[in-house]
Amino acid sequence: MTLLRQDIGVWLFLLPAVVFFVGYQVWPIIRVLWMSFTNYQFLTNEPANWVWFDNYIQAFEDPLLWASLGRAALFTIMFLPGTIVLPLLLAILVDRVTNRRLATLYRVVLLIPAVIPSTLIFVLWKWMYNYQAGPINHFLVDTLGLFTLQNAPQWLGGTPLTLPSIAVMEVWWGLGYHTIFFLAGLAAIPRDLPEAARIDGASEWQVFWHVTRPRLAPIMMILVVLRFGTAMAVIDEYLIFGGFNRASPTYTWTIFMYDQAFKTGLWRQGYAAAIGMIGAVAMMFVMVLLIRIFRPKG
Amino acid sequence: MTLEAVRRTATSEPTARSRPRQSWFNRNRSAIVRHAVINFFMVIILLPLAWVLMMSVKSLPDAMRGDFWPRRFDFTHYSFVFERIATLPVNLFNSIYVTAGTVLITTVCAVLAGYALVHLRPRGAGLVVTALLVSLYFPVRVVSIISIYETQKFLGLINSTSGLILPYITLQLAISILIMRSMFQLVPHEMIEAAKIDGAGAWRTLWMVGLPMVRNGLVVIFIVNFVAAWGEYLLCLTLVDDEARRTMPVVLAAAQGGQGQWAWPNLAAVYVIVVTPGILAFTFAQKLFFKGLMEGALKG
Repeated sequence: MTLLRQDIGVWLFLLPAVVFFVGYQVWPIIRVLWMSFTNYQFLTNEPANWVWFDNYIQAFEDPLLWASLGRAALFTIMFLPGTIVLPLLLAILVDRVTNRRLATLYRVVLLIPAVIPSTLIFVLWKWMYNYQAGPINHFLVDTLGLFTLQNAPQWLGGTPLTLPSIAVMEVWWGLGYHTIFFLAGLAAIPRDLPEAARIDGASEWQVFWHVTRPRLAPIMMILVVLRFGTAMAVIDEYLIFGGFNRASPTYTWTIFMYDQAFKTGLWRQGYAAAIGMIGAVAMMFVMVLLIRIFRPKG
Repeated sequence: MTLEAVRRTATSEPTARSRPRQSWFNRNRSAIVRHAVINFFMVIILLPLAWVLMMSVKSLPDAMRGDFWPRRFDFTHYSFVFERIATLPVNLFNSIYVTAGTVLITTVCAVLAGYALVHLRPRGAGLVVTALLVSLYFPVRVVSIISIYETQKFLGLINSTSGLILPYITLQLAISILIMRSMFQLVPHEMIEAAKIDGAGAWRTLWMVGLPMVRNGLVVIFIVNFVAAWGEYLLCLTLVDDEARRTMPVVLAAAQGGQGQWAWPNLAAVYVIVVTPGILAFTFAQKLFFKGLMEGALKG
Protein backbone atom coordinates (compact mmCIF):
# COMPACT_ATOMS: atom_id res chain seq x y z
CA MET A 1 0.00 0.00 0.00
CA THR A 2 2.78 2.43 0.88
CA LEU A 3 4.45 1.49 -2.40
CA LEU A 4 1.32 2.51 -4.26
CA ARG A 5 1.09 5.79 -2.36
CA GLN A 6 4.72 6.49 -3.20
CA ASP A 7 4.00 5.86 -6.86
CA ILE A 8 1.11 8.32 -6.79
CA GLY A 9 3.33 10.96 -5.22
CA VAL A 10 5.91 10.48 -7.95
CA TRP A 11 3.33 10.59 -10.72
CA LEU A 12 2.19 13.99 -9.41
CA PHE A 13 5.45 15.31 -10.84
CA LEU A 14 4.70 13.74 -14.21
CA LEU A 15 1.01 14.65 -14.23
CA PRO A 16 1.14 18.14 -15.86
CA ALA A 17 3.40 16.95 -18.67
CA VAL A 18 1.40 13.77 -19.22
CA VAL A 19 -1.93 15.61 -19.29
CA PHE A 20 -0.78 17.95 -22.07
CA PHE A 21 1.13 15.25 -23.92
CA VAL A 22 -1.82 12.86 -23.94
CA GLY A 23 -4.44 15.56 -24.54
CA TYR A 24 -2.75 17.28 -27.45
CA GLN A 25 -0.44 14.62 -28.95
CA VAL A 26 -1.55 11.08 -28.18
CA TRP A 27 -5.32 11.55 -28.18
CA PRO A 28 -5.43 13.56 -31.45
CA ILE A 29 -3.53 10.80 -33.27
CA ILE A 30 -5.87 8.10 -31.92
CA ARG A 31 -8.86 10.27 -32.75
CA VAL A 32 -7.64 10.94 -36.31
CA LEU A 33 -7.01 7.22 -36.77
CA TRP A 34 -10.60 6.56 -35.73
CA MET A 35 -11.93 9.34 -37.98
CA SER A 36 -10.15 7.83 -40.95
CA PHE A 37 -12.41 4.77 -40.75
CA THR A 38 -15.63 6.84 -40.59
CA ASN A 39 -17.47 9.45 -42.62
CA TYR A 40 -16.90 11.90 -39.79
CA GLN A 41 -17.75 15.58 -40.37
CA PHE A 42 -17.28 18.57 -38.06
CA LEU A 43 -20.57 20.30 -38.71
CA THR A 44 -23.24 17.64 -38.77
CA ASN A 45 -25.38 16.56 -35.87
CA GLU A 46 -25.65 13.00 -37.13
CA PRO A 47 -23.18 10.58 -35.59
CA ALA A 48 -20.35 9.39 -37.81
CA ASN A 49 -20.74 6.01 -39.47
CA TRP A 50 -18.05 3.37 -39.50
CA VAL A 51 -17.12 2.90 -43.16
CA TRP A 52 -14.19 0.53 -42.81
CA PHE A 53 -11.59 1.15 -45.49
CA ASP A 54 -13.73 3.27 -47.82
CA ASN A 55 -11.69 6.43 -47.25
CA TYR A 56 -8.44 4.58 -47.80
CA ILE A 57 -9.69 2.85 -50.96
CA GLN A 58 -10.92 6.15 -52.34
CA ALA A 59 -7.61 7.82 -51.51
CA PHE A 60 -5.54 5.08 -53.16
CA GLU A 61 -7.69 5.36 -56.30
CA ASP A 62 -7.17 9.13 -56.42
CA PRO A 63 -4.17 10.00 -58.64
CA LEU A 64 -3.81 13.21 -56.61
CA LEU A 65 -2.72 11.20 -53.55
CA TRP A 66 0.13 9.58 -55.44
CA ALA A 67 1.11 12.89 -57.02
CA SER A 68 1.04 14.61 -53.63
CA LEU A 69 3.21 11.93 -52.00
CA GLY A 70 5.59 12.12 -54.96
CA ARG A 71 5.89 15.89 -54.61
CA ALA A 72 6.77 15.59 -50.91
CA ALA A 73 9.41 13.00 -51.80
CA LEU A 74 10.76 15.23 -54.59
CA PHE A 75 11.18 18.11 -52.15
CA THR A 76 12.91 15.82 -49.67
CA ILE A 77 15.42 14.73 -52.33
CA MET A 78 16.13 18.37 -53.22
CA PHE A 79 16.59 19.38 -49.60
CA LEU A 80 18.25 16.52 -47.74
CA PRO A 81 21.74 16.27 -49.37
CA GLY A 82 22.42 20.00 -49.09
CA THR A 83 21.34 20.23 -45.49
CA ILE A 84 23.73 17.42 -44.49
CA VAL A 85 26.80 18.02 -46.68
CA LEU A 86 27.17 21.81 -46.42
CA PRO A 87 27.03 21.92 -42.59
CA LEU A 88 29.46 19.01 -42.41
CA LEU A 89 31.95 20.89 -44.59
CA LEU A 90 31.46 24.08 -42.60
CA ALA A 91 31.82 22.27 -39.28
CA ILE A 92 35.15 20.72 -40.31
CA LEU A 93 36.41 24.21 -41.20
CA VAL A 94 35.10 25.95 -38.07
CA ASP A 95 36.41 23.13 -35.88
CA ARG A 96 39.97 24.07 -36.89
CA VAL A 97 39.62 27.72 -35.94
CA THR A 98 41.95 28.06 -32.99
CA ASN A 99 41.37 31.71 -32.14
CA ARG A 100 38.98 31.55 -29.22
CA ARG A 101 37.15 34.82 -29.92
CA LEU A 102 36.66 34.03 -33.61
CA ALA A 103 35.44 30.53 -32.81
CA THR A 104 32.80 31.96 -30.46
CA LEU A 105 31.79 34.66 -32.96
CA TYR A 106 31.35 32.08 -35.72
CA ARG A 107 29.21 29.92 -33.46
CA VAL A 108 26.98 32.83 -32.49
CA VAL A 109 26.42 33.85 -36.12
CA LEU A 110 25.76 30.22 -37.04
CA LEU A 111 22.97 29.93 -34.52
CA ILE A 112 21.22 33.22 -35.32
CA PRO A 113 18.92 31.71 -38.00
CA ALA A 114 18.09 28.90 -35.57
CA VAL A 115 16.63 31.35 -33.05
CA ILE A 116 14.47 33.07 -35.66
CA PRO A 117 11.00 31.49 -35.46
CA SER A 118 9.91 29.45 -38.48
CA THR A 119 7.23 31.75 -39.87
CA LEU A 120 9.54 34.75 -39.68
CA ILE A 121 12.07 32.83 -41.78
CA PHE A 122 9.38 32.12 -44.37
CA VAL A 123 8.18 35.73 -44.41
CA LEU A 124 11.73 36.97 -44.86
CA TRP A 125 12.34 34.63 -47.80
CA LYS A 126 8.96 35.43 -49.30
CA TRP A 127 10.29 38.96 -49.62
CA MET A 128 13.72 37.79 -50.80
CA TYR A 129 12.05 35.86 -53.63
CA ASN A 130 9.47 38.59 -54.39
CA TYR A 131 9.09 38.99 -58.16
CA GLN A 132 9.26 42.78 -58.29
CA ALA A 133 10.74 44.07 -55.06
CA GLY A 134 12.82 41.12 -53.94
CA PRO A 135 16.59 41.57 -53.72
CA ILE A 136 17.27 38.32 -55.60
CA ASN A 137 15.46 39.44 -58.74
CA HIS A 138 16.87 42.94 -58.25
CA PHE A 139 20.34 41.41 -58.35
CA LEU A 140 19.56 39.31 -61.42
CA VAL A 141 17.81 42.09 -63.35
CA ASP A 142 19.47 45.38 -62.37
CA THR A 143 22.92 44.31 -61.23
CA LEU A 144 23.74 41.40 -63.51
CA GLY A 145 21.32 42.22 -66.31
CA LEU A 146 20.58 38.54 -66.91
CA PHE A 147 16.83 39.09 -67.11
CA THR A 148 14.43 41.92 -67.76
CA LEU A 149 11.49 42.85 -65.54
CA GLN A 150 9.28 40.89 -67.94
CA ASN A 151 11.06 37.54 -67.91
CA ALA A 152 12.64 37.51 -64.43
CA PRO A 153 12.21 34.17 -62.64
CA GLN A 154 8.99 33.62 -60.75
CA TRP A 155 10.38 31.84 -57.69
CA LEU A 156 7.29 31.21 -55.60
CA GLY A 157 3.57 30.75 -56.02
CA GLY A 158 3.37 27.22 -57.38
CA THR A 159 5.77 27.58 -60.33
CA PRO A 160 8.26 24.76 -61.12
CA LEU A 161 10.89 26.83 -59.26
CA THR A 162 8.92 26.83 -56.02
CA LEU A 163 10.20 23.56 -54.54
CA PRO A 164 13.90 24.27 -55.25
CA SER A 165 13.43 27.80 -53.87
CA ILE A 166 11.95 26.44 -50.65
CA ALA A 167 14.74 23.85 -50.46
CA VAL A 168 17.38 26.60 -50.70
CA MET A 169 15.62 28.52 -47.93
CA GLU A 170 15.48 25.44 -45.71
CA VAL A 171 19.16 24.66 -46.25
CA TRP A 172 19.97 28.26 -45.31
CA TRP A 173 17.80 27.97 -42.21
CA GLY A 174 19.37 24.74 -40.99
CA LEU A 175 22.94 25.54 -42.04
CA GLY A 176 24.10 26.99 -38.74
CA TYR A 177 22.19 24.67 -36.45
CA HIS A 178 23.39 21.54 -38.22
CA THR A 179 26.93 22.88 -38.22
CA ILE A 180 26.75 23.24 -34.43
CA PHE A 181 25.45 19.66 -34.33
CA PHE A 182 28.47 18.38 -36.27
CA LEU A 183 30.83 20.59 -34.24
CA ALA A 184 29.65 18.83 -31.09
CA GLY A 185 30.39 15.51 -32.78
CA LEU A 186 33.83 16.64 -33.91
CA ALA A 187 34.65 17.89 -30.41
CA ALA A 188 34.16 14.35 -29.10
CA ILE A 189 36.85 12.90 -31.41
CA PRO A 190 40.18 12.68 -29.57
CA ARG A 191 42.61 15.17 -31.14
CA ASP A 192 45.47 12.71 -31.42
CA LEU A 193 43.55 10.36 -33.75
CA PRO A 194 43.62 12.58 -36.87
CA GLU A 195 47.09 13.83 -35.86
CA ALA A 196 48.43 10.27 -35.77
CA ALA A 197 46.88 9.53 -39.16
CA ARG A 198 48.51 12.63 -40.64
CA ILE A 199 51.91 11.67 -39.25
CA ASP A 200 51.45 8.26 -40.87
CA GLY A 201 51.11 10.11 -44.16
CA ALA A 202 47.35 10.08 -44.68
CA SER A 203 45.93 12.82 -46.90
CA GLU A 204 43.28 15.19 -45.50
CA TRP A 205 40.63 13.33 -47.48
CA GLN A 206 41.78 9.97 -46.07
CA VAL A 207 41.73 11.43 -42.55
CA PHE A 208 38.18 12.62 -43.10
CA TRP A 209 36.97 9.39 -44.66
CA HIS A 210 38.63 6.87 -42.34
CA VAL A 211 38.92 8.77 -39.04
CA THR A 212 36.30 11.52 -38.86
CA ARG A 213 33.40 10.17 -40.89
CA PRO A 214 32.86 6.88 -39.01
CA ARG A 215 32.80 8.78 -35.71
CA LEU A 216 30.24 11.25 -37.00
CA ALA A 217 27.98 8.46 -38.27
CA PRO A 218 25.62 8.44 -35.26
CA ILE A 219 25.03 12.20 -35.51
CA MET A 220 24.65 11.89 -39.26
CA MET A 221 21.98 9.23 -38.79
CA ILE A 222 19.98 11.35 -36.36
CA LEU A 223 20.15 14.34 -38.70
CA VAL A 224 19.17 12.37 -41.81
CA VAL A 225 16.19 10.74 -40.11
CA LEU A 226 14.99 13.91 -38.36
CA ARG A 227 15.33 16.09 -41.45
CA PHE A 228 13.70 13.44 -43.63
CA GLY A 229 10.78 13.72 -41.21
CA THR A 230 10.60 17.50 -41.36
CA ALA A 231 10.97 17.59 -45.14
CA MET A 232 8.22 15.03 -45.82
CA ALA A 233 5.80 16.75 -43.44
CA VAL A 234 6.36 20.37 -44.49
CA ILE A 235 3.08 22.29 -44.37
CA ASP A 236 3.49 25.95 -43.26
CA GLU A 237 5.86 26.75 -46.13
CA TYR A 238 3.48 25.29 -48.69
CA LEU A 239 0.54 27.19 -47.19
CA ILE A 240 2.49 30.47 -47.34
CA PHE A 241 4.26 29.98 -50.68
CA GLY A 242 1.93 27.75 -52.65
CA GLY A 243 -1.75 27.93 -51.81
CA PHE A 244 -4.35 25.35 -52.75
CA ASN A 245 -3.87 25.00 -56.50
CA ARG A 246 -3.94 21.24 -57.07
CA ALA A 247 -1.48 21.43 -59.96
CA SER A 248 1.11 23.25 -57.86
CA PRO A 249 4.25 21.30 -56.90
CA THR A 250 3.59 22.44 -53.33
CA TYR A 251 0.27 20.53 -53.22
CA THR A 252 1.72 17.64 -51.21
CA TRP A 253 -0.08 15.15 -48.97
CA THR A 254 -0.04 17.61 -46.07
CA ILE A 255 -1.78 20.32 -48.13
CA PHE A 256 -4.12 17.69 -49.63
CA MET A 257 -5.12 16.72 -46.08
CA TYR A 258 -5.53 20.33 -44.93
CA ASP A 259 -7.49 21.21 -48.07
CA GLN A 260 -9.93 18.34 -47.50
CA ALA A 261 -10.28 19.09 -43.79
CA PHE A 262 -10.62 22.88 -43.79
CA LYS A 263 -10.81 24.40 -47.25
CA THR A 264 -12.91 22.62 -49.86
CA GLY A 265 -16.20 23.34 -48.14
CA LEU A 266 -17.16 19.67 -48.39
CA TRP A 267 -15.91 19.20 -44.81
CA ARG A 268 -14.81 15.63 -45.41
CA GLN A 269 -12.72 15.27 -42.28
CA GLY A 270 -12.87 11.46 -42.41
CA TYR A 271 -11.29 11.45 -45.85
CA ALA A 272 -8.73 14.05 -44.76
CA ALA A 273 -7.85 11.88 -41.76
CA ALA A 274 -7.22 8.90 -44.06
CA ILE A 275 -4.90 10.99 -46.27
CA GLY A 276 -3.03 12.17 -43.18
CA MET A 277 -2.60 8.64 -41.86
CA ILE A 278 -1.40 7.35 -45.25
CA GLY A 279 1.19 10.12 -45.48
CA ALA A 280 2.36 9.63 -41.90
CA VAL A 281 2.63 5.84 -42.15
CA ALA A 282 4.45 6.04 -45.50
CA MET A 283 6.91 8.44 -43.86
CA MET A 284 7.48 6.26 -40.82
CA PHE A 285 8.10 3.28 -43.10
CA VAL A 286 10.90 5.08 -44.96
CA MET A 287 12.31 6.37 -41.66
CA VAL A 288 12.71 2.85 -40.32
CA LEU A 289 14.46 1.93 -43.58
CA LEU A 290 16.78 4.93 -43.22
CA ILE A 291 17.63 3.98 -39.64
CA ARG A 292 18.53 0.49 -40.81
CA ILE A 293 20.68 1.82 -43.66
CA PHE A 294 22.51 4.50 -41.70
CA ARG A 295 22.88 2.62 -38.44
CA PRO A 296 26.56 2.59 -37.50
CA LYS A 297 28.01 -0.84 -38.05
CA GLY A 298 29.47 -2.84 -35.25
CA MET B 1 29.45 14.36 -26.00
CA THR B 2 31.45 14.95 -22.92
CA LEU B 3 31.57 18.42 -21.54
CA GLU B 4 35.34 18.13 -21.24
CA ALA B 5 35.71 17.58 -24.98
CA VAL B 6 33.56 20.59 -25.74
CA ARG B 7 35.44 22.81 -23.34
CA ARG B 8 38.67 21.70 -24.90
CA THR B 9 37.71 22.76 -28.44
CA ALA B 10 36.38 26.03 -27.15
CA THR B 11 39.58 26.89 -25.38
CA SER B 12 42.34 25.00 -27.18
CA GLU B 13 45.39 27.13 -27.85
CA PRO B 14 46.93 27.46 -31.29
CA THR B 15 49.58 24.83 -31.69
CA ALA B 16 52.90 26.46 -32.38
CA ARG B 17 55.02 24.61 -34.88
CA SER B 18 58.42 25.37 -36.23
CA ARG B 19 58.43 25.36 -39.99
CA PRO B 20 61.00 26.39 -42.56
CA ARG B 21 60.87 30.09 -43.38
CA GLN B 22 58.28 30.90 -46.00
CA SER B 23 56.36 33.99 -46.95
CA TRP B 24 53.53 34.88 -44.57
CA PHE B 25 50.94 34.02 -47.21
CA ASN B 26 52.39 30.60 -47.98
CA ARG B 27 52.72 29.72 -44.33
CA ASN B 28 49.11 30.61 -43.63
CA ARG B 29 47.59 29.61 -46.94
CA SER B 30 45.29 26.90 -45.61
CA ALA B 31 44.14 29.10 -42.73
CA ILE B 32 43.40 31.97 -45.13
CA VAL B 33 41.36 29.73 -47.44
CA ARG B 34 39.59 28.28 -44.42
CA HIS B 35 38.61 31.66 -43.03
CA ALA B 36 37.58 32.88 -46.47
CA VAL B 37 35.19 29.95 -46.92
CA ILE B 38 33.81 30.31 -43.39
CA ASN B 39 33.26 34.03 -43.86
CA PHE B 40 31.57 33.43 -47.19
CA PHE B 41 29.00 31.28 -45.35
CA MET B 42 28.71 33.87 -42.57
CA VAL B 43 27.85 36.51 -45.17
CA ILE B 44 25.27 34.19 -46.74
CA ILE B 45 23.68 33.71 -43.32
CA LEU B 46 23.64 37.41 -42.45
CA LEU B 47 22.79 38.91 -45.84
CA PRO B 48 18.99 38.39 -45.78
CA LEU B 49 18.85 39.80 -42.25
CA ALA B 50 20.99 42.78 -43.23
CA TRP B 51 18.70 43.36 -46.21
CA VAL B 52 15.56 43.54 -44.07
CA LEU B 53 17.31 45.76 -41.52
CA MET B 54 18.38 48.18 -44.27
CA MET B 55 14.91 48.09 -45.78
CA SER B 56 13.40 49.21 -42.49
CA VAL B 57 15.40 52.45 -42.50
CA LYS B 58 15.09 53.36 -46.18
CA SER B 59 13.09 56.29 -47.43
CA LEU B 60 10.11 55.26 -49.57
CA PRO B 61 11.69 56.14 -52.96
CA ASP B 62 14.86 54.26 -51.98
CA ALA B 63 12.76 51.23 -51.11
CA MET B 64 11.37 51.21 -54.65
CA ARG B 65 14.85 51.47 -56.17
CA GLY B 66 16.06 48.32 -54.50
CA ASP B 67 19.69 49.29 -53.91
CA PHE B 68 21.17 47.80 -50.77
CA TRP B 69 22.48 51.11 -49.36
CA PRO B 70 19.83 53.85 -49.27
CA ARG B 71 20.54 57.36 -50.53
CA ARG B 72 18.47 58.82 -47.70
CA PHE B 73 17.82 57.16 -44.34
CA ASP B 74 14.37 57.36 -42.80
CA PHE B 75 13.85 56.06 -39.27
CA THR B 76 10.22 57.11 -38.94
CA HIS B 77 8.82 53.76 -40.08
CA TYR B 78 9.21 52.34 -36.60
CA SER B 79 6.95 54.93 -35.01
CA PHE B 80 4.64 54.93 -38.05
CA VAL B 81 3.79 51.23 -37.74
CA PHE B 82 2.78 51.61 -34.11
CA GLU B 83 0.75 54.79 -34.63
CA ARG B 84 -0.98 54.03 -37.92
CA ILE B 85 -1.51 50.27 -38.08
CA ALA B 86 -4.38 49.83 -35.65
CA THR B 87 -4.11 46.06 -35.19
CA LEU B 88 -0.34 45.94 -34.79
CA PRO B 89 -0.07 46.58 -31.00
CA VAL B 90 -2.91 44.09 -30.48
CA ASN B 91 -1.23 41.37 -32.55
CA LEU B 92 2.07 42.04 -30.87
CA PHE B 93 0.45 41.78 -27.45
CA ASN B 94 -1.23 38.50 -28.50
CA SER B 95 2.14 37.08 -29.46
CA ILE B 96 3.78 38.16 -26.19
CA TYR B 97 0.91 36.83 -24.12
CA VAL B 98 0.65 33.46 -25.85
CA THR B 99 4.42 32.97 -25.92
CA ALA B 100 4.90 33.88 -22.25
CA GLY B 101 2.13 31.49 -21.19
CA THR B 102 3.50 28.68 -23.32
CA VAL B 103 7.11 29.06 -22.22
CA LEU B 104 6.17 29.26 -18.55
CA ILE B 105 3.89 26.21 -18.48
CA THR B 106 6.09 24.05 -20.71
CA THR B 107 9.15 24.81 -18.60
CA VAL B 108 7.36 23.83 -15.38
CA CYS B 109 6.03 20.62 -16.97
CA ALA B 110 9.44 19.71 -18.41
CA VAL B 111 11.37 20.35 -15.19
CA LEU B 112 8.95 18.33 -13.04
CA ALA B 113 8.84 15.47 -15.54
CA GLY B 114 12.57 15.40 -16.19
CA TYR B 115 13.34 15.36 -12.47
CA ALA B 116 10.82 12.61 -11.77
CA LEU B 117 11.99 10.42 -14.66
CA VAL B 118 15.61 10.45 -13.48
CA HIS B 119 15.55 10.74 -9.69
CA LEU B 120 12.16 9.41 -8.57
CA ARG B 121 12.05 6.58 -11.11
CA PRO B 122 8.34 5.82 -11.17
CA ARG B 123 7.06 2.61 -12.65
CA GLY B 124 6.21 3.23 -16.31
CA ALA B 125 9.01 5.76 -16.80
CA GLY B 126 10.41 3.73 -19.69
CA LEU B 127 7.07 3.81 -21.45
CA VAL B 128 6.85 7.60 -21.05
CA VAL B 129 10.32 8.10 -22.52
CA THR B 130 9.57 5.78 -25.45
CA ALA B 131 6.33 7.63 -26.20
CA LEU B 132 8.15 10.98 -26.11
CA LEU B 133 10.85 9.71 -28.48
CA VAL B 134 8.35 8.25 -30.96
CA SER B 135 6.41 11.54 -31.00
CA LEU B 136 9.56 13.29 -32.23
CA TYR B 137 9.60 11.19 -35.37
CA PHE B 138 5.87 10.98 -36.11
CA PRO B 139 4.42 14.01 -37.97
CA VAL B 140 2.09 14.71 -35.03
CA ARG B 141 1.80 18.44 -35.68
CA VAL B 142 0.37 17.96 -39.18
CA VAL B 143 -1.91 14.98 -38.62
CA SER B 144 -3.32 16.07 -35.24
CA ILE B 145 -4.63 19.41 -36.53
CA ILE B 146 -8.00 17.88 -37.54
CA SER B 147 -8.60 16.51 -34.07
CA ILE B 148 -7.23 19.54 -32.24
CA TYR B 149 -9.76 21.69 -34.09
CA GLU B 150 -12.48 19.39 -32.73
CA THR B 151 -11.06 19.51 -29.19
CA GLN B 152 -10.85 23.31 -29.20
CA LYS B 153 -14.40 23.55 -30.54
CA PHE B 154 -15.55 21.23 -27.76
CA LEU B 155 -13.79 23.43 -25.18
CA GLY B 156 -15.20 26.60 -26.74
CA LEU B 157 -11.73 27.82 -27.60
CA ILE B 158 -12.11 28.42 -31.34
CA ASN B 159 -11.18 32.02 -32.14
CA SER B 160 -9.67 32.45 -28.67
CA THR B 161 -6.14 33.74 -28.30
CA SER B 162 -5.69 32.23 -24.83
CA GLY B 163 -6.89 28.88 -26.14
CA LEU B 164 -3.84 28.69 -28.38
CA ILE B 165 -1.63 28.21 -25.34
CA LEU B 166 -2.94 24.66 -24.77
CA PRO B 167 -1.78 23.14 -28.09
CA TYR B 168 1.30 25.40 -28.12
CA ILE B 169 2.54 23.79 -24.90
CA THR B 170 2.92 20.45 -26.65
CA LEU B 171 4.78 21.86 -29.68
CA GLN B 172 8.15 21.33 -27.98
CA LEU B 173 7.06 19.54 -24.81
CA ALA B 174 8.54 16.16 -25.72
CA ILE B 175 11.95 17.56 -26.63
CA SER B 176 11.91 19.82 -23.54
CA ILE B 177 11.28 16.86 -21.23
CA LEU B 178 14.00 14.83 -22.91
CA ILE B 179 16.45 17.73 -22.56
CA MET B 180 15.61 18.15 -18.87
CA ARG B 181 15.94 14.41 -18.42
CA SER B 182 19.49 14.37 -19.76
CA MET B 183 20.27 17.45 -17.66
CA PHE B 184 19.08 15.76 -14.47
CA GLN B 185 21.11 12.68 -15.37
CA LEU B 186 24.18 14.86 -14.83
CA VAL B 187 23.08 15.56 -11.25
CA PRO B 188 24.60 12.84 -9.05
CA HIS B 189 21.97 10.65 -7.47
CA GLU B 190 23.89 10.82 -4.16
CA MET B 191 23.26 14.56 -3.95
CA ILE B 192 19.53 14.03 -4.20
CA GLU B 193 19.72 11.21 -1.65
CA ALA B 194 21.77 13.37 0.71
CA ALA B 195 19.17 16.12 0.57
CA LYS B 196 16.48 13.57 1.33
CA ILE B 197 18.40 12.24 4.33
CA ASP B 198 18.71 15.81 5.56
CA GLY B 199 14.94 15.82 5.67
CA ALA B 200 14.06 17.69 2.50
CA GLY B 201 10.99 16.44 0.64
CA ALA B 202 10.97 15.69 -3.07
CA TRP B 203 9.70 19.17 -3.98
CA ARG B 204 12.21 20.96 -1.77
CA THR B 205 15.05 18.82 -3.09
CA LEU B 206 14.12 19.71 -6.65
CA TRP B 207 13.91 23.43 -5.84
CA MET B 208 17.03 23.76 -3.69
CA VAL B 209 19.38 21.12 -5.12
CA GLY B 210 18.19 20.11 -8.58
CA LEU B 211 17.19 23.38 -10.23
CA PRO B 212 20.46 25.29 -9.73
CA MET B 213 22.32 22.42 -11.38
CA VAL B 214 20.22 22.35 -14.54
CA ARG B 215 20.37 26.10 -15.19
CA ASN B 216 21.95 25.71 -18.65
CA GLY B 217 19.25 23.28 -19.69
CA LEU B 218 16.60 25.76 -18.57
CA VAL B 219 18.11 28.36 -20.91
CA VAL B 220 17.92 25.86 -23.79
CA ILE B 221 14.28 24.88 -23.29
CA PHE B 222 13.40 28.53 -22.67
CA ILE B 223 14.81 29.51 -26.07
CA VAL B 224 13.46 26.41 -27.86
CA ASN B 225 9.94 27.05 -26.60
CA PHE B 226 10.13 30.78 -27.20
CA VAL B 227 11.10 30.17 -30.82
CA ALA B 228 8.33 27.61 -31.32
CA ALA B 229 5.51 29.68 -29.79
CA TRP B 230 6.64 33.07 -31.12
CA GLY B 231 6.63 31.81 -34.71
CA GLU B 232 3.77 29.29 -34.70
CA TYR B 233 1.64 29.54 -37.84
CA LEU B 234 -0.47 26.46 -38.60
CA LEU B 235 -2.52 26.30 -35.37
CA CYS B 236 -3.13 30.03 -35.14
CA LEU B 237 -4.16 30.18 -38.80
CA THR B 238 -6.57 27.27 -38.38
CA LEU B 239 -8.04 27.95 -34.94
CA VAL B 240 -8.31 31.77 -34.93
CA ASP B 241 -10.22 33.71 -37.60
CA ASP B 242 -10.25 37.31 -36.36
CA GLU B 243 -7.28 39.35 -37.48
CA ALA B 244 -7.27 41.15 -34.10
CA ARG B 245 -6.98 37.87 -32.20
CA ARG B 246 -4.19 36.42 -34.29
CA THR B 247 -0.51 36.47 -33.47
CA MET B 248 2.09 38.54 -35.26
CA PRO B 249 3.57 35.87 -37.62
CA VAL B 250 0.19 35.01 -39.16
CA VAL B 251 -0.52 38.69 -39.81
CA LEU B 252 2.95 39.24 -41.27
CA ALA B 253 2.66 36.18 -43.52
CA ALA B 254 -0.63 37.49 -44.93
CA ALA B 255 0.59 41.06 -45.45
CA GLN B 256 1.26 41.91 -49.08
CA GLY B 257 4.14 44.32 -49.50
CA GLY B 258 3.28 47.38 -51.54
CA GLN B 259 1.73 50.74 -50.93
CA GLY B 260 0.11 52.43 -47.93
CA GLN B 261 0.44 51.05 -44.45
CA TRP B 262 2.16 47.91 -45.70
CA ALA B 263 4.78 49.73 -47.74
CA TRP B 264 8.01 47.72 -47.78
CA PRO B 265 9.91 49.76 -45.16
CA ASN B 266 6.93 49.53 -42.79
CA LEU B 267 6.74 45.78 -43.24
CA ALA B 268 10.47 45.53 -42.68
CA ALA B 269 10.22 47.67 -39.53
CA VAL B 270 7.54 45.36 -38.10
CA TYR B 271 9.74 42.41 -39.01
CA VAL B 272 12.74 43.84 -37.19
CA ILE B 273 10.61 44.57 -34.11
CA VAL B 274 9.33 40.99 -34.05
CA VAL B 275 12.61 39.23 -34.75
CA THR B 276 14.96 41.25 -32.52
CA PRO B 277 13.88 40.06 -29.03
CA GLY B 278 14.77 36.45 -29.83
CA ILE B 279 18.16 37.27 -31.33
CA LEU B 280 19.02 39.61 -28.43
CA ALA B 281 17.97 37.08 -25.80
CA PHE B 282 20.05 34.43 -27.51
CA THR B 283 23.11 36.65 -27.87
CA PHE B 284 23.06 37.52 -24.17
CA ALA B 285 22.44 33.94 -23.08
CA GLN B 286 24.66 32.30 -25.71
CA LYS B 287 27.28 31.03 -23.27
CA LEU B 288 24.72 29.24 -21.10
CA PHE B 289 22.82 28.19 -24.22
CA PHE B 290 25.85 26.49 -25.79
CA LYS B 291 26.76 24.79 -22.53
CA GLY B 292 23.22 23.51 -22.12
CA LEU B 293 23.10 22.43 -25.76
CA MET B 294 26.28 20.42 -25.36
CA GLU B 295 25.27 18.90 -22.03
CA GLY B 296 21.76 17.91 -22.90
CA ALA B 297 20.24 18.77 -26.20
CA LEU B 298 22.73 17.24 -28.60
CA LYS B 299 23.18 13.99 -26.76
CA GLY B 300 20.82 12.28 -29.18
